[in-house]
Amino acid sequence: MEINEKTQAGRNLTELLTNAYMGMHSRAANDAFVVWGAIIVPAEIFQGFDNVVFCLPESHAALCAAKGVGADQCLRAESLGYSMDLCSYARIDIGCMADNGATSPTMGLPKPHLLVSDTNNCSLLTKWFDVHHRELNIPHFILDVPFCYGPQQEKDREYILTQFKDLIKMVEDLSGETFNPDKFHEAAIYTAAAVSDWKRFMACAAHRPSGITVFDSFVQMAPFLVARGTKEFADHYKILADETEENVRQGIFPVPNEKYRLMWDNIAPWHQLRKMSNRLAEMGANIVAAPYTSCIGSVEGSFDLVQYDESLDPLWYMARVQNHSVCPMGMDLRLKAMKPVIEQLGIDGVVFASNRSCKVFSIMQMDEERRVKEEFGIPAVMIDVDHADVRKFSQENVYVRLEALLESIDAQRARATV
Amino acid sequence: METPLQALTRLKNGSRPVIGCMPLYPPLELLHSLGMTPFVLWGLAEVVPHVNDADRHIQSYACSVARRLTQFVISEWEELLDGLLFYNAGDTLRNLPEILREGVVTNGGMLHPHFSFHLPMTSPEQADASDYLKKEFERLINNLEDFYGVKFSEERFADSVGLYDRMRELCRQLENAVSRGRLPFADFCRVLTNANFMEVNKQIALLEAVLSRLPEKPLSGDDSARVLVSGILPPPTEICDIMDQAGLIVAGNDIAFMHRSYARTPDTWDDVLDFYVRFYREHFPCTTLLYSSDSRLEAVVRRVLENSARGFVFVGEKFCEYEYFELPSLEKNLKDQGVPVLSLEISMDDNIGAETFRTRLEAFRELIEK
Ligand code: SF4
Ligand code: SF4
Repeated sequence: MEINEKTQAGRNLTELLTNAYMGMHSRAANDAFVVWGAIIVPAEIFQGFDNVVFCLPESHAALCAAKGVGADQCLRAESLGYSMDLCSYARIDIGCMADNGATSPTMGLPKPHLLVSDTNNCSLLTKWFDVHHRELNIPHFILDVPFCYGPQQEKDREYILTQFKDLIKMVEDLSGETFNPDKFHEAAIYTAAAVSDWKRFMACAAHRPSGITVFDSFVQMAPFLVARGTKEFADHYKILADETEENVRQGIFPVPNEKYRLMWDNIAPWHQLRKMSNRLAEMGANIVAAPYTSCIGSVEGSFDLVQYDESLDPLWYMARVQNHSVCPMGMDLRLKAMKPVIEQLGIDGVVFASNRSCKVFSIMQMDEERRVKEEFGIPAVMIDVDHADVRKFSQENVYVRLEALLESIDAQRARATV
Repeated sequence: METPLQALTRLKNGSRPVIGCMPLYPPLELLHSLGMTPFVLWGLAEVVPHVNDADRHIQSYACSVARRLTQFVISEWEELLDGLLFYNAGDTLRNLPEILREGVVTNGGMLHPHFSFHLPMTSPEQADASDYLKKEFERLINNLEDFYGVKFSEERFADSVGLYDRMRELCRQLENAVSRGRLPFADFCRVLTNANFMEVNKQIALLEAVLSRLPEKPLSGDDSARVLVSGILPPPTEICDIMDQAGLIVAGNDIAFMHRSYARTPDTWDDVLDFYVRFYREHFPCTTLLYSSDSRLEAVVRRVLENSARGFVFVGEKFCEYEYFELPSLEKNLKDQGVPVLSLEISMDDNIGAETFRTRLEAFRELIEK
C-alpha cells in the first residue's frame, strides 16, 4: 500500500495496520476465536467479545494487490481450477490460502473458525466463502441483505436486525463467550466518531485545489476494514482530519496545479495507486472523490453523514447503514448520491472504471455514464480496470481514454466561454 | 412446431397478461393462478439473434443470459410483454430492473410494470426466515392484484400447482427417456426450450405428445458412454447434436433450465405462502440458491451415481461466477468417486464453432469407456 510516510497520518496508518495484522495473528495464536467476514458485516459486534478476532479477506486481498503480489496469488488460484473471470479479491484470497500466506505481506490471515458473508455488496462473496467453508469444514453464516431500489424498507431492516441477533448468538455458542453489550456500544461510538472525522477529511476535497486525492482516501480507508470499533481507529481519523485541514489552511495541496477535478466510480485500482495519481497529477488532473469512499457513514442514495444517536440501539443503526456501500443500491440511488457531490465539489468529469472483476459495481455504469452526461452536463469516460489483478489492466488504453476525457472537459470549457 | 417467437406472439395475442420472469426459479404457479401467462426469460438464443441494443446498456462481461434477456426486453417489450417479475436470483440480475427500464425508455418505449420479491438466502443453520418470505409473497400478491385488477384464490392456485406439477413430471419422464436412449438429448433440449415459451397447458400437451411418440426400445444398443450434463442452460443445439453423434448418452442432467427447475415441488402445503416457503426450501440445490450450498455437491454426485453416469460434462456459462466458484470442489468430489469431468465453456462472443468441441467430446467418450 502506497502510504505517505511524510505525514503524521501516514505514519500512524502504517503503525495501526502493522499492529492490527500482528494483533490478529498473535491473538489467534493465543486461542482467540477467529471470524472472517465481509467488509460491511458490523465489525463492532465482535468488539463485544473479549477473545474474538475479526479479519477481512477483502481488505487483505486489496493489500496484497497494492503490494504487487496479487497477480501471483490469482495465478495460484487459477492453477487450482478457479476461473480467471472470478472476482480478483476472491482469487487472491484462495491463492493465498493455498500457499498458507507465504506470499502475503501479512503472512496471510489467521485460520478462521467462522465465516460471515454478507450478500449486500455481492452474493458471490458467499460463494467465495463457501470455498473455505468446504475446505476447512467450518460454519458459514450468511448475512442476507435485500437490495435497495429506493430507501431501505422497515421490513428489510427488521429482517437484517433479526440476523444480527442470530449472528451474536452463533458467535456466543461457537466461541463459548458471552456478548458484552457495553463493549459493543463503546465500539459503535468509536465508529461514529471515526466516521464523522472521515467526513471532515473527505470535505477537504471541496477546496480548490483539493486538499486530498482519491488515492489518499483509498489508502486511508484501511482502518475501517481492519480496526473498526476501536479507540486507535477513532484516534487515527482525528489525526487524519486535523492534519489534512491544517494542510489546507497552510496551502499544502497534493495537486497544486489542479486543472481538472474528477470523480472515480468503482473500487480502487489497488495495483495502480501511485502510478495513476502521479500520471494524473502531471496532467493537472486530480480525482477528488469516489462513491467508493464517499459512501462511508451514509445510507443508500446519499453520501451525507448519518448522525449516530446514542440513545438508539446500535444494532438498529448498523442495520440502517447496510445498503450504503454503492453495490447494494440501484442506479437511481447511486446517481442521487453522486449529484450533490458533483455539484458541491465542482467535478469536471467522471471516470467510470468498468471492472470485470466486480460486476455488481460495474453492470449499471453504461447507463450511469450516459445519464451523468445528460443529467449533470459533464463529460464522462469508461475505462477498463480490474481492481486487484494487474494482468487485466492495459495502461495505454486507460490513459488514452483519460486524456480524451480531459480534452472533452477543455472543449466544454471552451464552449462555455464563447 | 411453432418457433419461440411465434409462440410468444400467440401468447401476447391471448387474453392473459404475459409476464416475463427473470431467471431462475420464479413463482410461475402463482402468476398463472392470477390469470397471467408467465414465462422465464432464458433460453432466448433463437429469439435473440444479436444483442446490439443490449450492448449499449450492459457490458460484454455479463453472462449471455443477462445480455440476451436485456436485448429481448428492450427490443420486444412493446410487442410481447405486459409485465416483468424479478427476484434476487443473482447479482447481475438484481442490477437489471433499472437497466431494462433505461433500455426500453431510450428505445422510445414506455415504462414497464415490474414486480419483485426478495428470497431469503440465509443458511438452514440460521434463524428461520420463513415469515419474511411469507410477507414478501403477501406483498407480491397484493401488488399483482392491484395492478391487474385480479383476485387471488387458493382454489385456482391449487389448480395451477397441479398443472405445473404435471408439466414437471412429464419433463422428468422425458429426461428418463433420454437416459434410456429413447430420445436424443438434442431433441429433448429443443422440446424444453420451445416449451419454455408456452402456456402451461400447451406445455403439457407438447410433452405428452413427444412422450407418446417415443420408441419402446433405445435408438442404439450401446449405452456405455453415459454422462451427466450440468450447467445453467442446455448446451447450444450444435453441441447437443455432437454429443448425440459421439454416442454420449445423457444419463441425467443438472442443468438449471432443466432438472434443477423441474426436479421437485412440495408434496404437501397449507396455502400459497406455505407452498413457496417449501418450494424454495426443498428446491433441488442450485449454485444460485445460496442456502442450498451444503446439500448441492452431494446431490449432484448422488445423481451421477444413481444414474450410472461414467462421466460428467460441465457446460459453463461464461462469466457465471455462481457456477465457476463451485466447479473445482465439484470436480474434486466427482474425481474422488472415479468420475472424470469434461469442462466446456460457452461464450456468446467467442468465434469458436461447435465443431471445436467435437474432438474433446469424442476424446471424452473414449476416456470414460476405458
Ligand atoms: S465481486 Fe465486487 S463486491 Fe463482490 S467481493 Fe468482489 S470486489 Fe467485492
Ligand atoms: S446465474 Fe449465472 S448464468 Fe444465470 S443470470 Fe446469473 S450469472 Fe448469468
